[in-house]
Amino acid sequence: MGLSRRDFLKTSVAGATAATVGMPLSEQAEAAVKAGEAGWQWDKGVCRFCGTGCGIMIATKAGRIVATKGDPDAPVNKGLNCVKGYFNGKINYGKDRLTQPLLRMTDGKFDKKGKFVPVSWEQALDVMEEKMRWAMKEKGPHGLSIFGSGQYTIHEGYTAAKLMKAGFRSNNLDPNARHCMASAVVGFMQTFGIDEPQGNYDDIEHTDTAVLWGANMAEMHPILWSRITDRRLTHAKMKVVNLSVYGNMSSDIADLEIIFSPSGDLAIQNYIAREIVKRDAIDHDYVKKYTQFATGPYDIGYGFRPKNADKFHTAAEMEIVKNEQSHVIDKWEAIGQRKKEGDVVEQKNAATPMKDWAISFEDFKTAVEPYTLDFTAAVAKGDPDEPMDAFKAKLQQLADLYCEKGRKIVSYWTMGFNQHQRGSWVNEQAYMNHLLTGRQCKPGDGAFSLTGQPSACGTAREVGTFAHRLPADMVVMNPKHRAIAEKIWKLPAGTINPQMGSHFVKIMRDLEDGQILFSWTQVNNPWQNTANVNHWIKAAREMNNFIVVADAYPGVSCKVADLILPAAMINEKWGAYGNAERRTQVWRQQILPPGQARADIWMMLELSKRFKLKDVWGAQKIPGLDGGLPDVLPAAQAMGYTPESTLYDVLFATAENKKHKWPDPIAKGHGNHVADLLKDGWFPEKALFEEYRQFGSGHGHDLAPFDIYHHDKVRGLRWPVIEKDGKWVETLWRNNEKYDSYVAKGSGFDFYGNNGAALVMGDLDKPGDPAKKVDISHKAKIYFRPYASPVEKPDANYDLWLCTGRVLEHWHSGTMTRRVPELHRAVPNAVCWISQKDADAKGLKRNDLVWVESRRGKVKVRLETGGRNRMPRGMVYVPWFDEGVLINKVTLDATCPLSKETDYKKCAVKVYKA
Amino acid sequence: MNLSGILVMSKPESHGQVVEALNALEGVEVHQVDAATGRIVAVQEAEDIHAEIEGVKRIKAIPHVIMAEMVYHYLAEDERIYEAMPPELIEQQDGFETCAVPAYLNS
Repeated sequence: MGLSRRDFLKTSVAGATAATVGMPLSEQAEAAVKAGEAGWQWDKGVCRFCGTGCGIMIATKAGRIVATKGDPDAPVNKGLNCVKGYFNGKINYGKDRLTQPLLRMTDGKFDKKGKFVPVSWEQALDVMEEKMRWAMKEKGPHGLSIFGSGQYTIHEGYTAAKLMKAGFRSNNLDPNARHCMASAVVGFMQTFGIDEPQGNYDDIEHTDTAVLWGANMAEMHPILWSRITDRRLTHAKMKVVNLSVYGNMSSDIADLEIIFSPSGDLAIQNYIAREIVKRDAIDHDYVKKYTQFATGPYDIGYGFRPKNADKFHTAAEMEIVKNEQSHVIDKWEAIGQRKKEGDVVEQKNAATPMKDWAISFEDFKTAVEPYTLDFTAAVAKGDPDEPMDAFKAKLQQLADLYCEKGRKIVSYWTMGFNQHQRGSWVNEQAYMNHLLTGRQCKPGDGAFSLTGQPSACGTAREVGTFAHRLPADMVVMNPKHRAIAEKIWKLPAGTINPQMGSHFVKIMRDLEDGQILFSWTQVNNPWQNTANVNHWIKAAREMNNFIVVADAYPGVSCKVADLILPAAMINEKWGAYGNAERRTQVWRQQILPPGQARADIWMMLELSKRFKLKDVWGAQKIPGLDGGLPDVLPAAQAMGYTPESTLYDVLFATAENKKHKWPDPIAKGHGNHVADLLKDGWFPEKALFEEYRQFGSGHGHDLAPFDIYHHDKVRGLRWPVIEKDGKWVETLWRNNEKYDSYVAKGSGFDFYGNNGAALVMGDLDKPGDPAKKVDISHKAKIYFRPYASPVEKPDANYDLWLCTGRVLEHWHSGTMTRRVPELHRAVPNAVCWISQKDADAKGLKRNDLVWVESRRGKVKVRLETGGRNRMPRGMVYVPWFDEGVLINKVTLDATCPLSKETDYKKCAVKVYKA
Repeated sequence: MNLSGILVMSKPESHGQVVEALNALEGVEVHQVDAATGRIVAVQEAEDIHAEIEGVKRIKAIPHVIMAEMVYHYLAEDERIYEAMPPELIEQQDGFETCAVPAYLNS
């Protein structure tokens, strides 16, 4: 036929595409596909990037990835890929992959002011061990810390959690998921007593309405967006609403676009609740049987340093940070919180923001009463150029949707809600409106928190790599939970530290004030992703501490490190992720890591060989914990350990774990560089997964065995996964008797996460008699949460809002996606989006180089007035992927006081010509 | 050279129009059509992926196109990139012993 190589390739690509989406192939195409893929080995995998959790098929040949395609059998993406997913196969092959440990040295010795010099793994681990011993000698377990990740594999997160919590007895392990999911977690835990969405992505194909609250799904979750788009075009009743602080790509197919002011979402949610009450759109039966009204304190601060802030902050910063102590009520808060404008409110509950108590329905009605259309429109209108009547009409249309009987609604959100000074509250408000109208835990009906990272759910949350968490929603502060963990981990009673560790931002603050001396970064880029980063760069470089960063590519965090460890990437190791719909998915090692790069799990296991029980299980001092941690060595000896036993032998290579042998037939010929390097014959990823599974089995977090997930036909399973008649069955809608085997037949719905919990009855201002408690077993809470203004607002000097976020083409800090030449070229640099009117008023034009400056810092960036984002007057948007435009020098490190999650979406800046 | 396999969907009644419009685009060829379901498989060739991404946006903008997403990516230029790797990185692939420290880190 004389096909050219190019024509042949095209036929082959077309055939493979058609096969992927299940279209019949012509004989010619089939032959071309076969010939084109000769010698390739295909295996199932998972996308490295967002929390959607798309299935990816990966082809390898001669030790390299040669092709990737959307997995046609994956129910999440049904063969489709977004532009990032499409390039999964390329992220491993960037030219500047780190391939050997690098240590700052002068004259052959570690020197904090030295230059990076290649060292062996032995030298790297030697210096880590020495510095960890020094940190523990100076500060006890609190001197150590790990910045973990929502991009950890499940096995990595579990290893880190066990090493820190059971081994070093330090709870200073906190993931970058703190920056992205923590508010969602608080929302779930406070409302339902159990984490993660009850529904799943199938809701899209069942619903009549998708309401986006601060989630630009078109750019950030494109595959889910394609499912919503499809529903919008094929289901006549389907409506899409996009609520955002600026116009974006998700508005393109939206029936209703609502541009609201920063924190205006708090008022809009209460307006909807008020309308539901006024129009009696309440599902009375559902509310009566399954819910309890509740509220909590308003004087909870803004998550700044609780004391001595002025030692670390400039006078300009203190203008904002002082609100942590007392806050002056503005005119909107006066109405929304039933106070007087100008009242000075001491932030008495800044240390106890999680307090809550039960209220009556009458009190709830009183609380939402001020949220009239007039008030809400006045406080929440985000585009100053939109006529007030038009905005009001939109709010009414939104309320109409929630009040329409028989209409199914899914509310989606991501960072717009979570990265919010009242992020936990606004999450809870979403559940408020869904629970009021009986729209939770039903196909097509539910408030659904999307995730940004591939295993924010599967690892950070489920494994519990947070400063307060243990696996399966348990917490270190609860003695019963510690006892369960100590039993599964075979630790003496009293080993686990009962004091909550430092959360992500607090680890940075502890480095700044010298309370933490050793920090290890894994699968994450803290010195690019943490707000107000000038402080933290200084803390890392100028304080006497030791900063270890494991990464695949050199990013900002590597640059501020003392020791860089070259890390293996996805597909270079065995792994598992859990996506936003509770789906646990796995992959095998496909290729070897380059050079001396190694899996994080190997680094931790090797390090654990260097510490003995006598180093860590004696009595320990903990700041703020009376009596410190007990000496558990005698009890350990009674259990058969010796003071000379290593953490490797006691925590990881246990007799039980060594029963899982490597090689294992489940590998189907794939390698395992971790097992090969350890050389002691066990299969760490499988053994640790099987051990971890014990935490969730039998109480609502059940996972299937390791081998089940690796079965050829399985494309992940949504937990709880229950064994029925020899089959492992996933759960589609939790808390609903039709789908969830934890719900008793005949009960309808059962919010069993709150079983055994009780609330004190109170009024809107305070809890009442502590003796009078309301049992909330089997019930969810409907919280009233008020409007609260952002702590920093534009003024005469800093006259614009700054919102930060992502772009479609790049993943987080760009360390991976900027290595894919095509993605880098598509969006090489961050720009500052601004409205044309603001640009004109400042005498600026598109492409001008400008400074964006706040009270904390400034960056230089090019101005953009067009393109995919449409800014209202008064607001600019700068994405954060670009380390050349380190926008987190500008952002404010205020957090939601409940979740400790930073608000990256609102601070005050000025923009002027550079 | 970048080759991508793209799934395009249109309403069956607009099928012919969409196929025509696709074939008229530079670098795009329609390879397979399933009239009953409105699915079209197109292959796009682009010099770099900036052009490729823009190309998909161009397809999405065609009237009557309901959806267009990339499905299959052929890593055609990988070998070329591999061959073009700087010598010190090729060395690492072989011996992994020495490697230049990225200049960025010590700047």
